[in-house]
Amino acid sequence: MPAVAKRVKNLPPYLFARIERLIAEKRAAGVDVISLGIGDPDEPTPEHIREEAKRQLEIPENHRYPTSVGLPAFRQAVARYYARRFGVELNPEREVVTLIGSKEGIAHIAWCYLDAGEVALVPDPSYPVYAGGTILAGGEPYYLPLLPENGFLPRLEDVPTEVARRAKILFLNYPNNPTAAVASSSFFAEVVAFAREFDLLVCHDAAYVEVAFDGYRPSSFLATPGAKEVGIEFGSLSKPYNMTGWRLGWAAGKEEAVEVLGRLKSNIDSGVFQPIQYAGIKALDGPQECVKEMNALYQLRRDLAVAAFREMGWKIDPPKATFYLWLPVPSGFTSESFAEYLVEEAGVVVTPGTGYGRHGEGFFRVSLTLPTERLQEALVRMKRVLGKVSF
Amino acid sequence: MRGLAERAQKLSPSPTLSVDTKAKELLRQGEKVINFGAGEPDFDTPEHIKEAAKRALDQGFTKYTPVAGILPLREAICEKLYRDNQLEYSPDEIVVSCGAKHSLYNALQVLLNPGDEVIIPVPYWTSYPEQVKLAGGVPVFVPTTPENDFKLRPEDLRAAVTPRTRLLILNSPANPTGSVYRREELIGLAEVALEADLWILSDEIYEKLIYDGMEHVSIAALDPEVKKRTVVVNGVSKAYAMTGWRIGYAAAPRPVAQAMINLQSHSTSNPASVAQAAALAALKGPQEPVESMRQAFQKRRDFIWQHLNSLPGVRCPKPLGAFYVFPEVSGLLGRRLKGREIASASDLALFLLEEIKVATVAGAAFGDDHYLRFSYALRLEDIEEGMQRFKELLEAAL
Repeated sequence: MPAVAKRVKNLPPYLFARIERLIAEKRAAGVDVISLGIGDPDEPTPEHIREEAKRQLEIPENHRYPTSVGLPAFRQAVARYYARRFGVELNPEREVVTLIGSKEGIAHIAWCYLDAGEVALVPDPSYPVYAGGTILAGGEPYYLPLLPENGFLPRLEDVPTEVARRAKILFLNYPNNPTAAVASSSFFAEVVAFAREFDLLVCHDAAYVEVAFDGYRPSSFLATPGAKEVGIEFGSLSKPYNMTGWRLGWAAGKEEAVEVLGRLKSNIDSGVFQPIQYAGIKALDGPQECVKEMNALYQLRRDLAVAAFREMGWKIDPPKATFYLWLPVPSGFTSESFAEYLVEEAGVVVTPGTGYGRHGEGFFRVSLTLPTERLQEALVRMKRVLGKVSF
Repeated sequence: MRGLAERAQKLSPSPTLSVDTKAKELLRQGEKVINFGAGEPDFDTPEHIKEAAKRALDQGFTKYTPVAGILPLREAICEKLYRDNQLEYSPDEIVVSCGAKHSLYNALQVLLNPGDEVIIPVPYWTSYPEQVKLAGGVPVFVPTTPENDFKLRPEDLRAAVTPRTRLLILNSPANPTGSVYRREELIGLAEVALEADLWILSDEIYEKLIYDGMEHVSIAALDPEVKKRTVVVNGVSKAYAMTGWRIGYAAAPRPVAQAMINLQSHSTSNPASVAQAAALAALKGPQEPVESMRQAFQKRRDFIWQHLNSLPGVRCPKPLGAFYVFPEVSGLLGRRLKGREIASASDLALFLLEEIKVATVAGAAFGDDHYLRFSYALRLEDIEEGMQRFKELLEAAL
């Protein structure tokens, strides 16, 4: 058999795929594994959204090909959401494109902008798709360390000028996965200035912009003056509306980037099943209590988990956003060995920080997307095997 | 702002969809357009499939699934491949994607290195060359002729092979020609592929739409050696009138399937959970709707094929599969019709759309602009009406 292509060999196995396998192995061996690994909301999609999909899938027109750039009605709903929520004006025809989940756009934006050997600035740690998309396109990731002493924001002034000049894309993601850090509007203003100076496309992943606590309301990057001229933002229905399995998101912002993403997509896929897009419209336009309820639930779990980790000896502040905790591993462990230890000894899965990059070493990520009593059980088991930890 | 990547600058939008969009626009403006442009069945998705989707939604089947698709669906695909195609695959050799187009894209991405040559018989489905280029490959176009029912012959393939050739794309039943390869023809092509150490990407999406007692043969089923170097692509779109649901799949040797899963985990993740539930119902449920749809298509094909062949300047071989006829219109080119210069099939397609509101797709989209593609995935009355308009136009213009 002829060999597979080199581009795939360069690709690290997608982190969550590996965790999926690990869980499956343990479960097959009869262990009641509790996973704090994957950020997949445990609650089903709210009923009014599911009902809309059911209604729409009765309509014969919706059984036909969608357009690859998405229903005008969905893109208009995205524009309404940006106006209402962030005060950002978007032209739904030219500044919004529907995606098969925000990940699809994140992966393909590198195809649109990077020729072989060109650079994308990629935070480290970060969601693996920023580097993955870059590598698949033949580009080179240049990693920007996200360190606790900088509030997990990249220090743009530390990027060597010659690297910044060669770079074409800057990936960012706030509220941040995996660190749960948030960005201020002054940081975003700094990003716009940096992008202008070095002629970069900013690709901001806003997947967690609706998942926040204690009254905090994260902002869109596009709300920053000048942002629409230098950047696009990837939005997702997955997290706020528990719609991970539906695969629906969007890219919005800079017209050229939106147009070329749409053109690329027409050669790769034929768009999103229309009932799913109508469900998305219902989610965005409909009552938002479901989002508040989910956030209240995540906040409760966050507080529970923070209290338990503090008892075990962690010194941590409760994160303001995302449904993750990003914690240092106790002394004597690496990220990997700590995660393995917990699976082996406690039947609890956490994500080793190294899954998100080299600077994730020394950390692990806990996801709060599981039933509260399962989270409690996981914390009890961790206390039992860890006792008091030191650093 | 510095420019786009070279591949993005060179990228054209998918032409068949853009023609379809234009026709749909005219329809919205209230024009009575007869649309022969569509590449999808005009039937609705069968009831039991929709019901399965609704049940899945009721049960809250709305979360991430495994990237390659849920196990029951991959098992059902294995059963289907065994039952219909005598192909034995295990579920970890199956990758479910967002439509067969997406499966083809993933396959090309994992099989091609930059500079690899890919043999594409002409006429071809419009997205093959763009997808090959997106994977860094070099399309090598090999013409076929209507005399040979638009089928690639082993000698054509052998003549096109170079040391750089890596892959052959086969599509049977074919879009846009409706050609269907016979077993002995596939054996000849497979021999060359083995000799030259080629991959075969076999697009079998129209498998169920096949007429006059023809049998669909998957090239992978010829021989275990052939199967080892073949990626079979299929889906539920055309067989179950589910184009909108976006579920296709690939069956491939394990290392290729695993590479495709890895790639997909970095782009779209799992195909939509609700659509997977529907596809499962389609594959496991009653197959009668497929057969009644096939019979309806065959009736329409008979009508449109006879009618087109009766027109002056138009001729076409009888298609044996899919839902397209692909007449040669050379007899109408290079002349003035109603004061307009008709130099190419593209000119003719535009002329037909504007003069008589008949939408077709010009052969340029498929690599040869001496042809028009007529889809017969529309009501028989509309086909009759469209043919009548075409006939009257030619009578008045010639």
